[in-house]
Amino acid sequence: MDQEFHIEERPGATAPVIAVQGEVDVATAPQLRECLQRVIADGWSTVVLDLLGVTFLDSTALGVIVGAHKRCRELGGELRVVVADPRLVKIFEITGLTGVLTITDSLHAAGAP
Amino acid sequence: MNDPGAPLAAGDRIELRFPARGDLVVLARLVTSAVATRAGFDVEELEDLRLAVGELCLLALQGSDARHGDLRLELTLLGDGVAITCSLERASTTGDTEPSADEMEAAHLSEQILTALVDEHGRQSEDGAVRAWLRKRRRELAG
Repeated sequence: MDQEFHIEERPGATAPVIAVQGEVDVATAPQLRECLQRVIADGWSTVVLDLLGVTFLDSTALGVIVGAHKRCRELGGELRVVVADPRLVKIFEITGLTGVLTITDSLHAAGAP
Repeated sequence: MNDPGAPLAAGDRIELRFPARGDLVVLARLVTSAVATRAGFDVEELEDLRLAVGELCLLALQGSDARHGDLRLELTLLGDGVAITCSLERASTTGDTEPSADEMEAAHLSEQILTALVDEHGRQSEDGAVRAWLRKRRRELAG
């Protein structure tokens, strides 16, 4: 059974962490977009997006991630994406986003222990 | 069905119709997973198809006001794989509405995903009817 979609915001040492669980698709991506926009509007230019609990991503979710990445870059920061599931890493690879986004496989590597 | 575990064979066809709502696209993914399993696709191919069929639904919904429409998913087993079409029916199109930057980005990414995961895909729009389709061959037969 797929995990239910859930977003949790946590304070980090240098950047807030947005931890997502479940499937991020056309139905749930708007919630992620709203969360990322709110955190960036609060003044954070660097944000850690924890996708370790995500079981599925579609193009809508990727569009939200790319949009947040662009906004962070405009503010002089970056969006650090944490993803380890090979199925999800493959989606970032085939869309060429591994060369655009800062992607790590652990929270520690993303500076969010 | 006499045998719930029986494999599907060339010529078998499965149809699913559901209200064209984003929260129901998961139904298309679930049915595709079940069909792909019985059609002999391996686990990686099954995951590819699950992702691809979601993108197919998004392609069918592009530029439409689908609040009152239906999505019809049709999976046809072929000798070497599967053909899937997703048609948007009974929906009004809003071709004069400019897509948002996020929507344009997602459409571009969707195209990249389908190009990478399936052998052929396309989208046709005519007289308000939209049809997106794909074809994927099983790896053992794809050469």
